[in-house]
Amino acid sequence: MMKRNMACIVRPEANNKVSRYKDHGRAPMPHHPSFIPGIGRRSFLKGVAATGIAAAMPISARIWAQQGQTLRVSAYADIDELDPGFYQNGYNVDVMNCIYTKLIRYKPGREWDWELEAAETIEQVDDTHIHFRLKPGLMFTGGYGEITAEDVKFSFERVLLHDSPVKSDWGPLDHVEVTGRYEGTIVLKKPFVPLWTIALPYGTGHIVSQKAVLEAGDGGDFGMNPPCFSGPYILEQWKPNQSIYLVRNPDWNGEAPGFDNIRILPMDDTKTAERAYEAGDLDFTRITLSSLAQFRDNRPANTVIEEYPSLYYVWLGMNIDNPALSDINLRRAIQYAINVDQIIDAAYFGEAKPANGLIAPGLPGHREKPTVPIDGNLDKAREFLAAGGGPPREPLTIDALNATVWKTMAEVIQAQLMQIGIQTRINVQDSGSFWTIGMESEGDRWKKMQLVLNRFSMLPDPYYATSWFTSDQVGIWNWERFSNPEFDRLQQQALSETDPDKRAAMYRRMQDLMEASGAYKFITHEGTPVMYRKGLEPALRPDGQPLYPEFSGTL
Amino acid sequence: MNETSATSPTAPDADDRLLSEPSLLTRSLRLVGGNRSGAIGFVLVALIVFAAIFAPWLAPYDPTAIMTGPRMAPPSPEHWLGTDNLGRDLLSRVIAGGRVAMLVAAAALGAALTGGLSLGLIAGLGPRWLDNTLLLIFDALRSFPTIVFGLAVVTIIGPSLFTVILVVAITSIPIYARIVRTQTLALKNVEFILAERAMGAGIARILFVHVLPNVLGPLLILASMDVPLVIATEAGLSFLGMGVRPPTPSWGVILNDGYNFIRNSPWPVISGSIPIILVTLGFTFMGEALRDIFDPRLRRTH
Repeated sequence: MMKRNMACIVRPEANNKVSRYKDHGRAPMPHHPSFIPGIGRRSFLKGVAATGIAAAMPISARIWAQQGQTLRVSAYADIDELDPGFYQNGYNVDVMNCIYTKLIRYKPGREWDWELEAAETIEQVDDTHIHFRLKPGLMFTGGYGEITAEDVKFSFERVLLHDSPVKSDWGPLDHVEVTGRYEGTIVLKKPFVPLWTIALPYGTGHIVSQKAVLEAGDGGDFGMNPPCFSGPYILEQWKPNQSIYLVRNPDWNGEAPGFDNIRILPMDDTKTAERAYEAGDLDFTRITLSSLAQFRDNRPANTVIEEYPSLYYVWLGMNIDNPALSDINLRRAIQYAINVDQIIDAAYFGEAKPANGLIAPGLPGHREKPTVPIDGNLDKAREFLAAGGGPPREPLTIDALNATVWKTMAEVIQAQLMQIGIQTRINVQDSGSFWTIGMESEGDRWKKMQLVLNRFSMLPDPYYATSWFTSDQVGIWNWERFSNPEFDRLQQQALSETDPDKRAAMYRRMQDLMEASGAYKFITHEGTPVMYRKGLEPALRPDGQPLYPEFSGTL
Repeated sequence: MNETSATSPTAPDADDRLLSEPSLLTRSLRLVGGNRSGAIGFVLVALIVFAAIFAPWLAPYDPTAIMTGPRMAPPSPEHWLGTDNLGRDLLSRVIAGGRVAMLVAAAALGAALTGGLSLGLIAGLGPRWLDNTLLLIFDALRSFPTIVFGLAVVTIIGPSLFTVILVVAITSIPIYARIVRTQTLALKNVEFILAERAMGAGIARILFVHVLPNVLGPLLILASMDVPLVIATEAGLSFLGMGVRPPTPSWGVILNDGYNFIRNSPWPVISGSIPIILVTLGFTFMGEALRDIFDPRLRRTH
């Protein structure tokens, strides 16, 4: 998930905060007190340690399953970054989950929660201190020895030390204090709510070997050349744009994975993955919403279909700094001319729901309704247009990815804007080209960009959604070039706000500000239908994202 | 091929018959009439060109208008080929797509023919170093697969109808240029040309009176047979989302959209495929018939 479909995106420069995601998304998550920090904080703090201990899995608890069997799955893009401290995009993290270990991981299921992985215990001592103890006996490959607290310290601190583009995941991390071979304390400068939802169980939470990384370089980004592995699988073979082949790590002493091997086939277009599944080349795949009804009615043999909600957010963005869109009246007119219901009906065959903002239902900060009606208001659109001096003389451009769903959305928007006399031209582009349109580091294309259909993926904390629209993200991932001091201030305050109600109100206000700028028309959070062979027991996050090491069953 | 033996220069009364031989047009019509596939080809091409020219009047609906009917509907009296995922009339889109295809074919092949002819003549008649340089460029251009080259160009200048025409023209020029060059090299030292030169004929006269008429025939035949290739390239680029801009109808776009919704309805794929098949058959049959008309030697070998 995270970042989008962009196999060949050029990473932002090192000092660019950010990025991960777009494309693939899923799921409103049911509220879970232990996962949405700040809710019942005192009881949460008390309970974490106990929960952690209780959840601790005995090493090798799972019997070695599926000897010799290969799990075949698809990914929506090919891997392009395997350093967890500098991760980009969810498809890379899906592989990292297999080849590195981390203190805690997302717990598969329909509700957001976490469980222990490399940690034997983990406890939030107070708002700024988290004490952990590693399971002894977990080994790095390549003779780099046992995983120790020093490796944990190194793995987390290097993210800040080397100015990782995803250092914001670690927020106000101050340092990690090593108190024993297996024990240590994560020390924060101030409370950081997303620690449990993003920092620890996701990309930057993975542990790498200090010795191996320093031998390979200066401790910075090792890109696609991992010096060693620490997870249940190792990367055996990577054929760019063809396949990723993972095999069981013989040195792994943790919980045994469900399959001996995993073959991941990068497929940009989910429709292609659907056909590959039907042809028997895949055991598990995401399916498109437009195909869902067909698959429900005509289910492939020996197949289970499940639907998960999605955290993704899809929106039409408008470049405020483009001269043609500099008048807020025109932007507001566009907002009001767009009927989201029609878009969803056409592009998703009615299988998705309209979005009220960036933040999906179930997450703190989700808005019950947008300030601009979902189905628009043509009269109001015409009023704004008249106030702005009428339609632009030249057609506006709509940039979109070249997959059918985006083209369809763009064509519907084109027709809707024509109703108020705004002409548009659609630029469809492949993912490599599309995902750099708004980046200043990639040339001047951002200046010409006007309307853009975009989708970012999400992690289960609202901060993850809003972090891409702050002023310091302008020209990086903030392609609308929206800049608002109140928004920036709230973004910082909400990170440390432990009162859930106050925090949710902050995020709702931030989305109001975005909408009031006229630069955003929120469309949908999509959904995540998946299908897989009977006998397979997929391990999925509540938003339908796969956790491959925990897949089990018989194929 | 009864005409083959009748026009054989080895016939004893050849001289007499040459005097009374019918015109090229008459012979062409006879040849076409006697060649069933050629006739089919001409008819198909005529229909396609007619539909392309009169598309705005023939299409029952605006090809870009959405929700003219239910989405993914099968053929019905209202929508003869059904509708696509946005409820657009497929027949109208197919007809309008034909116009795009013909436009690309005409513009791209026109540009390629002009460029190929000019460069081929320059290479054939020019100095050796220039010939070698041009050959090197031709070979370099030919070494790129058309679609790959197209993707690269689209990435740089963006997808549009012009881009498709540009890609096809650039990748086709070397083919025509090489043929013209070869023909020119063969012709420039034949006796009647040498005689013309000896009599003081200028390069322009040799070029326009002798060389051009000799190379134009084969070139046009080749161009005719390349039309399906060009249309397939356009459809291929559009299929990949690198061709014409949406919502401009193109057979490749119709195919692509249909491919993605094939589980919902097969009609878009069928509607997008049939015209490509018909164009391929039509222009190939027509090209072969033209070859028979313009190249009696080949006709004899039949």
